[in-house]
Amino acid sequence: MTTPLPLLAARGLEYVYPGGVVALRGLDLNIERGQKLAILGPNGSGKTTLLLHLNGTCQPTRGEIRLDGQPARYDHRALNHWRRRVGLVLQEPDDQLFAATVGQDVSFGPLNLGLSAAETAERVREALESLRISHLADRATHTLSFGQKKRVAIAGVLAMRPEILVLDEPTAGLDSHGVNHLLGALQQLHEAGTTLVFSTHDVELAYAWADEVALFHEGTVLCQGETAAVLGDREALHRARLRPPLLLEVMEALGVGQDRSQPAPRSREAVLALLRERLGEPVSAMPVGTVFTHLRRGPSG
Amino acid sequence: MRAIDHHAWTNRWRGWHPAEKLLPAGSLLILTLMLPPLTTAPLVLAGMALATVRGAGVPLKALLSVLAAPAAFLLAGIPFLAVSVDFAEGVNLHLSAEGLRLALTTTVRALAAMSCLAFLILTTPLTDWIAPLRRIGVPAGVIELILLIYRLIFVFFERALTGHQAQTARLGYSRVDRSVRSLGLLAGNLFQRALEQARRLEIGLMARGYAGELRVLSPQWALSWPRLAMGLGLVGLIGAASDLLGRGLS
Repeated sequence: MTTPLPLLAARGLEYVYPGGVVALRGLDLNIERGQKLAILGPNGSGKTTLLLHLNGTCQPTRGEIRLDGQPARYDHRALNHWRRRVGLVLQEPDDQLFAATVGQDVSFGPLNLGLSAAETAERVREALESLRISHLADRATHTLSFGQKKRVAIAGVLAMRPEILVLDEPTAGLDSHGVNHLLGALQQLHEAGTTLVFSTHDVELAYAWADEVALFHEGTVLCQGETAAVLGDREALHRARLRPPLLLEVMEALGVGQDRSQPAPRSREAVLALLRERLGEPVSAMPVGTVFTHLRRGPSG
Repeated sequence: MRAIDHHAWTNRWRGWHPAEKLLPAGSLLILTLMLPPLTTAPLVLAGMALATVRGAGVPLKALLSVLAAPAAFLLAGIPFLAVSVDFAEGVNLHLSAEGLRLALTTTVRALAAMSCLAFLILTTPLTDWIAPLRRIGVPAGVIELILLIYRLIFVFFERALTGHQAQTARLGYSRVDRSVRSLGLLAGNLFQRALEQARRLEIGLMARGYAGELRVLSPQWALSWPRLAMGLGLVGLIGAASDLLGRGLS
């Protein structure tokens, strides 16, 4: 059996900033078609620098990026083609939005693809719709809230219909409602076939949402693999200075998911349902302290 | 400035074709400058104020605050126009009828002209003028500069505001010397941030295929002939009324 070539891959990637600061120290990364990959690591570990390599913004000091198995080139034409396929959304939306109105800003990318005004208008409509912000089309960019700006920034990249959408800390700065809204929209994109890569320091988010996790620490990928496997590896997490996800710890405390036949549930609802079943009374009605006492004593009866 | 921008984006006539606002207001401005001011200017002022407040629904307070600054300058200028100084026998101050008339006509004419401009800036956001500017052949580079400055003003305004608040919270403006120092630090910091912002904006734009040209879709307006005709009708009415008044007075 041959494994398919990764859509986008990094091999021995090293990057030294002008001035001598080493940001990436020879890392490998594989991005397969159609997956949701989380690049998980603490703040300041070089995740953003890695993402800037994924669309050719930064050129590695050593090592290479491969697109469809071919080493990436950095001439003008190649970069254009590359950025058409890999869309990058920066963490700070104000770094990306430049036009006066939402609709105009989103139209920038499609026009750069050489599309006609009519096609562009259609792309804008579609991108705004898929992030559920059609009502903002004629609003002035500077009157938007942070969460709205974030969605507009994503729509601006989405309107170019990239194969791979790379997002830098997509949920940073959003409230829980904003996070749910955003993840809902991204989930739809994923189901429509877009490959998603996002960086985060939020272990819970990676656990709940990613197919695969690349554990990132001080400029290297410690390990990459299936979410449950990577986040179950306490030693690796400890080295990356991260804590295991709370849901996983709760499940371990309950003795669930230790064997392969019964994987631990990953959503909050599923874990709560399991707890309810074990405790025999509605968990949501209990004060948090009681839940933990129950857990420590173990299921009674 | 933020108040003006807010009303420009949210007033009732925001969706109108810019020409429907520019042509009547521009014609009134020309009338004000050409016809005798004492009869024309009050009519123009009233017409523009009505259009801004009643028509477009901009609060009267906003209109007054836009007119307040030029009005203050005009009032300060009245004594210099109305009073003449005579050095023939010592120093004599004369309040001449000619001078008073000049002061009055200048003031009402300038105020009326300002009301035309106030109407335009309060009902039409800056970006709506971009498409017309492009049509009359302003170079793309200049237009991009206008757009970027317009967008970034608000980004930096916000940074300046929060920076100022943070400094105030730590007593940075508690004494005059500290205020000077704090303001200097804030300005230096903003400058540095502006450079960083520019660098990151370039990364963001390049990711979306930026190749040296900031092209976006122009907004589409439908020119409403009835509205334009009504606007120009109002101009005709004011012109005729002013002419009649002028005959009546003389």
